[in-house]
Amino acid sequence: MGSILPNKNELGFYEIRMESVGGLGANVSGKIIAEAGILEMGLNGASFSSYGSEKKGSPVKAFARFCDVDTVVRVNSPVERPHMLVIFHETLLNDPTVTMGITDETTVIVNTKKTPAEMREILKMRAGTIGCVDALQAAIDSKSRINTVLLGSISKASGFLTPDAIKAAMEKAFGRKYAAAMPGNLKAFDLGAENIVFETFETDERFPIRPFERVVPKLGYENAPKGGMVTNPGNTVLKDNTACRQGYIPVFHKDKCVNCGECDLTCPDYCFEWEEDTLKSGKKTVTLQRINYQYCKGCLKCVVICKHDALTTGLESEHLKEGK
Amino acid sequence: MKKQAITLKNGNEMAALAAKHINFHVMGYYPITPSTEVAETLDAMKAEGEHDVMMVPGDGEHGAAGICYGATTAGGRVFNATSANGLLYALEQLPVQAGTRLPMVLDIAARTVSGPLNIRCDHSDIMMALNTGWLVLLAKDPQMVYDMNIIAVKWGEHKDVRLPVIVCYDGFFTSHQKRRTEYFEDSQVVQDFIGKFEAEHTSVDPENPVSFGTYMNDDLINNKAQQSEATIAAYRVLPEILKEYGEISGRKYDMLTTYKMEDADTALFILNSAGDTAMVAVDKLREQGKKVGLVIPNVIRPFPKEEIQKVFKNVKALCVADRQDTYGGWGGNMTLEVKAALKDDADNKTIVLSRIYGLGGKEFFLEDAEELLNHACEAAKSGKVEIPYAYHGANAGEKGLKMEKVSNPLTLEELSFPEIKKTRNEDGTVKVGAINARNVAGRPKRIAAGHGACPGCGIFPNVDQFMKAIDGFVVTLWHTGCGMVVTTGYPYSAHRSTYIHNLFQNGAATMSGVVEMFEERKRRGEIAKDLEITFVMITGDGGNDIGMGPTIGAAVRNHKFIIIEYDNQGYMNTGSQLSFSTPKGHRTSTSNVGPFQVGKGTHHKDTAQIMAATHIPYVFTASEADYKDLMKKAAKASEYAKDGLVYGKILSACPLNWASADDMGAVVCQKAIDCNFFPLYEVEYGKTTLNYDPEAKGNKVSASEWLKMMGKTRHLIKPENKDLLESIEKEIDRRWCRIKAMSEHPGL
Repeated sequence: MGSILPNKNELGFYEIRMESVGGLGANVSGKIIAEAGILEMGLNGASFSSYGSEKKGSPVKAFARFCDVDTVVRVNSPVERPHMLVIFHETLLNDPTVTMGITDETTVIVNTKKTPAEMREILKMRAGTIGCVDALQAAIDSKSRINTVLLGSISKASGFLTPDAIKAAMEKAFGRKYAAAMPGNLKAFDLGAENIVFETFETDERFPIRPFERVVPKLGYENAPKGGMVTNPGNTVLKDNTACRQGYIPVFHKDKCVNCGECDLTCPDYCFEWEEDTLKSGKKTVTLQRINYQYCKGCLKCVVICKHDALTTGLESEHLKEGK
Repeated sequence: MKKQAITLKNGNEMAALAAKHINFHVMGYYPITPSTEVAETLDAMKAEGEHDVMMVPGDGEHGAAGICYGATTAGGRVFNATSANGLLYALEQLPVQAGTRLPMVLDIAARTVSGPLNIRCDHSDIMMALNTGWLVLLAKDPQMVYDMNIIAVKWGEHKDVRLPVIVCYDGFFTSHQKRRTEYFEDSQVVQDFIGKFEAEHTSVDPENPVSFGTYMNDDLINNKAQQSEATIAAYRVLPEILKEYGEISGRKYDMLTTYKMEDADTALFILNSAGDTAMVAVDKLREQGKKVGLVIPNVIRPFPKEEIQKVFKNVKALCVADRQDTYGGWGGNMTLEVKAALKDDADNKTIVLSRIYGLGGKEFFLEDAEELLNHACEAAKSGKVEIPYAYHGANAGEKGLKMEKVSNPLTLEELSFPEIKKTRNEDGTVKVGAINARNVAGRPKRIAAGHGACPGCGIFPNVDQFMKAIDGFVVTLWHTGCGMVVTTGYPYSAHRSTYIHNLFQNGAATMSGVVEMFEERKRRGEIAKDLEITFVMITGDGGNDIGMGPTIGAAVRNHKFIIIEYDNQGYMNTGSQLSFSTPKGHRTSTSNVGPFQVGKGTHHKDTAQIMAATHIPYVFTASEADYKDLMKKAAKASEYAKDGLVYGKILSACPLNWASADDMGAVVCQKAIDCNFFPLYEVEYGKTTLNYDPEAKGNKVSASEWLKMMGKTRHLIKPENKDLLESIEKEIDRRWCRIKAMSEHPGL
């Protein structure tokens, strides 16, 4: 009997990697597609995630491997050269490791409003297939979540994970505990399969082959301070928390601000920037200048606490360029 | 062969499934990543009525091991699961369990031992347990986790053995990787295989009294000789049990799993999940004509000495790969034991290389396995070992690169808040003037932006508000927990002031040591006498379950520092397990909601009152919902900490695990205050003052107004839980009345 897998690596696996942030449901998606392939369709394989601390908004990778039922699963390492790469959140593309290991054979699915041709320029993809789907909009339309939309897109893109198998796995995962949400989830799945737009690119020599390399930390046993100590504390300011946001941001209206300071005391991410100022009376003071969106995770606590309408909720896509 | 079904589950889930089929009487446990999911899965099954295992959360792993010990004396089947420092914290209990010959099963999802902290896999935990007298089975994949747990029960309970058994599988690689696995469709098959357990003696048979745990002097060596005999008996009976299990399951395990060893002249000895990867490497090297083979032990206590002597008889060179180190023993534990076993075979000429790999969860790729095998091939070829012992996979780092400062240290001037006026009354109590957010706006924060907390996390506004009312230098010590983990992911640290972390439970004792040394060095003139530092220990409510003992220790010593507890009502850092501060009826991942269980079964721990009973200068409760109240108390705390210990419990929203909106943290906390669940009060030198009475202010709401705002408690509003809700309201009223009465009484 021939294999239903369209493509396999040298060890006999078709491999999927999902790039997401905690809270978007990539882990559950990985589990569902693995159950679909393994329990519903009789393949063998494995499913796991890049576990660390379980925080919402932190980058997370989920992996699924499929092989024929008589192949033994013997590798435990993460998927490095995916046949399918699924990107749950466009802002993740700021991190170059997200697209690491894609080849001319890879199908990349991105949750975006952009077209595959536009996305190719961002991905700088030499060749291969790009599928774009506006999973956020489809999730809103179906009153479901983006991970269920992307399951539909994954099914379509894979060519072997059938809608029936994935829907059966979804039913087992959510059907009993969240029965009321099932019609919406199934609708979301269908939208994900219907709305995804694929384009396959041959190489036009504009983008080079990206050799695959594993990330090696710059600090090692010869230059790291003893005992795991950090001797330049406060260096988290170099980080970028943009990918934690889910589409909404607080918008600051300076004209309405009375500089009461309550937003500064309620913000978990310390995003409010103040500058020294002089009152008409000549007294020194500070006034709120702006929100630093590099750190803002979009929790909107500041909007709730502001009594002066100086902070309101806005769509990130309307107010910010390139996430900043 | 018995009928089996197929599922897709990870190692933790398979351990739980085995435990369900075994139907242990009692599981005593304490959550620790990555083993926690075993208890979570069993608790979720329990809520659905799928088994009868009594789930008992300990106050720490030491307590959990104690619960297990007590339960085994009482004559039933007992189960536990832990990892890393959890195993080490329980360690002193392990020889007691073995030495008094009470069988039970302990699953270890192997994880590296701190510090520095790391939650991922290596074998530094399990190797610490080798000398405890427990039998140790290994499981390299989820299928083996299920099988070995069932085998462990029968093995440990065997009449000639009667010893406790560890089943060890790799954290994350096995504990969290879902694989296609088989299990017995009918749990009766498992029951028939393990048989009925008959304890020789029990602690709950008053008509036949016995004494467990006597005081033995010269006689102890005889007890240990018996124990050694039992372990040797275990070596003899294990093959029989493995054979019997093979007959019902079709999965026949041997003491060693060997791969292409028949004609191998070069080999790799490696444990658990990495062994699977190494099999692929063996195939690749065989294609190159290299006669390599692989050995993965399935049991390491007792150590399969004869099998090892036999399998390596004709091997010229062997690489033993250890996922831990003995630091100074010239190899990991397995290297030393394999060498010892081979030394006993006078004819053996095998060259042994030791390589330390994969520490702290460092991935073990196919290429790594090939490289280790190739080292052995070179030794086989040359007949000698160039490098007998080395680390594989450590990296030197970029030459010349240093940790560059990103900001200057905060100065005393920047850290002073003269706007907040503090004075002492004649009776020694502290008075604080009005708090105005504007006065502290724009002032530097002691924690930098860019930390990795979840959106809407309550810890960071709470800590910022608290720190903004403390003048001058602060040194903080953080218990393990969310606040610590999200601020110190290497090579980053968000702490602009000096920060210390010690193990989960030991913060208060550690801070006592810091404070004592600071004072002593001042006294000796090594530190300027006028240098003032406020020492603040920060813990979650979970840290002060396991850390309650050291906290009370610091209190009764009246050490001069502040402890603040951010109470988010659960072990949120490890995935929302119940803490003793989780209120009754609330859903967590170890207090699930289903037809047979409605959330946590007992009321929340009243930590503030426990601490008030230690008679320290100052105890308070606060919440970000009322920053003026919180900051006033912080200012007072910094003054009272000059006299002795201060304890503050701060209600802190966790939108993720409360299943509440990210932007509503302060609002939910305010509702908890307005329904009298979380009274805002302080105890100054024994005098209780209620700071806010919702009824007097016309803000009183019912508990359901608070509970309906969180997904973790919404079930409590349903009509079928009416009685439970009433019992919760009754307890809230009872505790509130006590605080109110104390506040009104001049002497309390």
